[in-house]
Amino acid sequence: MVDTAEPSLSSEEGREKVPRTVRELLTEMKDTSEVIVDLAYASLVFDSEDMVEEVHHLERRMDTLLYNIRIKAMLSARTKRDAEQLAGLLQVASSAEMISNAAGDIVKLLKYDSDKRPFLPIVLKEAEEKIKSLTIADRSDMVNRAIVDMGVESETGMRIIALKRGKRWLYDPDEATKLKAGDLLIVRGTDNGYEVLRSFANGENLWPQYPKPEGQ
Amino acid sequence: MMDDLEQMLLEVKDTSELMVDLAYSSLLYNNRDIAGEVLSLKEYVDELNATVQQEAIKRTMVDGDVSKAFITIRLVEYLEEICSAASGIADVVMRNVEPHPVIKMSIRDSDVTISTAMVVEGSDLADKTLGETRLASNSGMWVVAIKRDRKYLYGPDERTTVLAGDTLIARGPNDGEEYFKDLSAGKARLG
Repeated sequence: MVDTAEPSLSSEEGREKVPRTVRELLTEMKDTSEVIVDLAYASLVFDSEDMVEEVHHLERRMDTLLYNIRIKAMLSARTKRDAEQLAGLLQVASSAEMISNAAGDIVKLLKYDSDKRPFLPIVLKEAEEKIKSLTIADRSDMVNRAIVDMGVESETGMRIIALKRGKRWLYDPDEATKLKAGDLLIVRGTDNGYEVLRSFANGENLWPQYPKPEGQ
Repeated sequence: MMDDLEQMLLEVKDTSELMVDLAYSSLLYNNRDIAGEVLSLKEYVDELNATVQQEAIKRTMVDGDVSKAFITIRLVEYLEEICSAASGIADVVMRNVEPHPVIKMSIRDSDVTISTAMVVEGSDLADKTLGETRLASNSGMWVVAIKRDRKYLYGPDERTTVLAGDTLIARGPNDGEEYFKDLSAGKARLG
C-alpha cells in the first residue's frame, strides 16, 4: 500500500529481494511472465515510455530469477528421478523467461510505429481481451477501498495492470492497495466488464454488497 | 475496421495467449490432451505467421508503408516466441515423467489461478452461451477449454454454448474460483 506520492523505500527493497525457495521463485516467474505481457501491450496502446521502462525492469528481474532457480534446483537433486523432474521444472522456468524476453522485444516496436497513424493500438483494440484506462471519480465508492476487499477482478473480470497516482506509477498493484480519487487505472478484460467497472469508477453505480455466506 | 492482415495478426496474438493458458493448465492437471493441443496450435500459428509475413511484404508494393510491414513482421516473430515458450511448457507434460510437485504448488500460489468445474443440470451456466452468462465479467474466470464427453473444445468464445455435463477449464483471480465452482454446481445464481 502506498499512501505517499514518493515511492517508499521499504516496498522497493522488498520487491527486489530474491525468493529463497524453488517454489517461490517459480511462482514469481509465472506471475511476472503474465504481468509483463499485459504491460507490454499496455505500453503499445498508451504509447507509454514509463511502462516500457517497467517492462525492461521486469525482463532483467526475470534473468536474476532464472539464474537463482537453476542453482537451487541443481542443489536439490538427489536421485535420477529428482533430476528428471527438476529438468522439467527448469524448462517451465526458462519458458517463463522466454515470454518475458518476447515482451521486452515487443515494446521495442514502439519506436517504429507511425506518430500520425499508429498501427499497433488499432490492432490491439480489437483483441478478445482489451486494454483500457479509466479514472476513479471523487464520488465513486471505490475511493479509499482496497482492491482485495472489493475483489475487483472477480467482480468485473477486469484485471488492474497498472495504476497512476499523480506522476507515480504502480505496476501490478498490490491487492492491499487502496484506491484514491483521481487514480488512473490501466485494466485488461472484456468490453462488458469494462463498462461495469467504469460505472463503479465514475460513481454511477455503487459497488455491490453481498450478504455474508452462512456460517461466517 | 480491421483488414485481413490485421485480423490475422490479432488471431496470432489471441492464440499466443490461449496457448500459454492451456500450457499451464496441462501442467497443473498433468493432462496430455491439453498439452497436445498446445503443440498443434504451435503448428497452426507457424503457418499463419508465414502467411502474415508474406502478406505484409506484398502490401508494401502497393502502399509503400514499410514501417507497418516491419512492425507486423517483427510482432508475429515475437508472438511466435511466446508460442514456443508455451510449447516448451507443454513438452514437459508430454514426457513420460510426472511433473515436479512444486510446479503445481507454484501455479496454485500464483496470482492467476486455473480451475475446473462441471456444469450441472439447472446451473445458470447450462444451455446458454458464454456471452449470455457473461461469465468472464461476472466471476473474473476466463474459460480456456471445455471438456464435453471425451472431447475438448479449445478457446471457446462468447458464442459458444455451455451444456449441462460440460467441464469448464478457466483461469482467473483466486477469489473468483469459488463463485465459478458454485455457479457451475448450481449452488449460486447469476446477478
